[in-house]
Amino acid sequence: MFANSFELFIQRTVDGLAAGSIYALLALALVVVFRGSGQLNFAQGEMGMFCAFVASTLTLSGLPLWLSILLSMVVGFVMGVGIERVVIRPLEHKNPGGVLVAAIGLFLLINQLAVAVWGVDPRGLASLFPDGEDDFFRLFGAAVRWERVGIFLVMLVLLALLWALFTKTKIGLAMRAVANNQDSSRLVGIRVGWILAIGWGVSGAIGALGAALLAPQAGLSQALMLGPFVFASAAAILGGLDSPLGAVVGGLAIGLIQAYIVGYVNFLGGGMVLSVVFAIILVVLLVRPSGLFGSQRVERV
Amino acid sequence: MLTVSGLTASYGPVQVLQGIDFTVGDGEIVVILGANGAGKTTTMRAISGTMPRGGTVDFAGHELTKLSPDAIVRLGVAQVPQGRGTFSDLTVHDNLMVGAFTRSSKVTEDLDRWYSVFPRLAERREQKAGSLSGGEQQMLAIARAMMSRPKLLLCDEPSLGLAPIITQDLFARITELNQESGMAVLLVEQNANLALKIAHRAYVLDTGRIVASGTAAELQADETIQAAYLGV
Repeated sequence: MFANSFELFIQRTVDGLAAGSIYALLALALVVVFRGSGQLNFAQGEMGMFCAFVASTLTLSGLPLWLSILLSMVVGFVMGVGIERVVIRPLEHKNPGGVLVAAIGLFLLINQLAVAVWGVDPRGLASLFPDGEDDFFRLFGAAVRWERVGIFLVMLVLLALLWALFTKTKIGLAMRAVANNQDSSRLVGIRVGWILAIGWGVSGAIGALGAALLAPQAGLSQALMLGPFVFASAAAILGGLDSPLGAVVGGLAIGLIQAYIVGYVNFLGGGMVLSVVFAIILVVLLVRPSGLFGSQRVERV
Repeated sequence: MLTVSGLTASYGPVQVLQGIDFTVGDGEIVVILGANGAGKTTTMRAISGTMPRGGTVDFAGHELTKLSPDAIVRLGVAQVPQGRGTFSDLTVHDNLMVGAFTRSSKVTEDLDRWYSVFPRLAERREQKAGSLSGGEQQMLAIARAMMSRPKLLLCDEPSLGLAPIITQDLFARITELNQESGMAVLLVEQNANLALKIAHRAYVLDTGRIVASGTAAELQADETIQAAYLGV
């Protein structure tokens, strides 16, 4: 099938970038919450999965796919805001460690809720992009599927939108201020609680989008996000947890590493790939403790 | 303008303010003097709503003890917290912009104004605030507070950690702001000598109680108070 090893390399690079784009999207969702509140939302993946089921139900009721996904992102936003206000905030003041436990509890709750509502039979969700057998083009001989290109572009657009949100809007400035210093944010009149909740909401919407892009290729089931979420959190940590650009670079890097290891170090079984990816991340963090793009604080006193 | 009566505040079971009364009139600079632990910072935080408090704080007819910090800022009370409270990861420019969070018009106009008042900030507008010197950060903290166009400025120990000559310059700036715009200033300070030079009136706070008050000149002249509370 492959004429030479160069073609094979290109193919693996393309596959790696495609998988990495999904990790990058989900990592972006994690970073948006982390920047504001310093918390890693373990329920992120399950929130996205739930929203993908919502999108699937909406398409079955006759709505166009793009509208269904958009509405599922709204559901993700509302879910994020609600979870922050009802579960996270009351706990945070009393016991920061409790937030972690609550997020894990939410993970299980949302997962089981999805089972209760939609059952365990796998469903489908159509792709936003052409994903038929012939929908690809050749790049140096390697097959590049249009769907993968679409996901990659969506991810880049999202990165640009987040950049604009953080640097060009008042609410983005408030989000950066809250991430930096909550006490001072209150003193300039920012309603810190709402800014944090909006961060969770934006993150919930991004997670919903990520899940909706992943579901057509991975199949929509309650297990949709389990693996990708692990890789996405690794990507966010690799990128520095508070940097959107870092999340994207981290996500793409992990996708590539994964594709190369599977392709070139094929004596390693599937499970071992995971360990190798994490070993590489550990080495990076030993050299750069704040991640590839994490902010290193400058503070003179 | 500001009338504080029976103000109390506690950290957990420890009551720090035992019910204090004081006023700040229109266009006045009032200083609250006291040693470490007297309750000066607590007084500021109780006014700005960043800690639970009791008693009454009337600001131009509004009861501040019932309001949240953001509502208090919107009414025109800005606080420069102790330790300056600049946003260290944000640029000087973003620090000033976020200071105008409660406003939507004429923000650029004000930005230009404070850059011309504090040219050092203009030079460093793209630097992160955390990289500024202590004196520059204090200027930034004051300029940021001014971006909300306050009617009353609360300054919590601006001299902390600054060389005397920088403190003098800073106090001169505060006086200018007060004279130019008629903005009232409530200052808490350990540095009694410098603060009394710019203040109209003063109170002495000791372990959560007001133990003396008068015009700045009276307190400067009162040797008993100077010796007992101000460590001179």
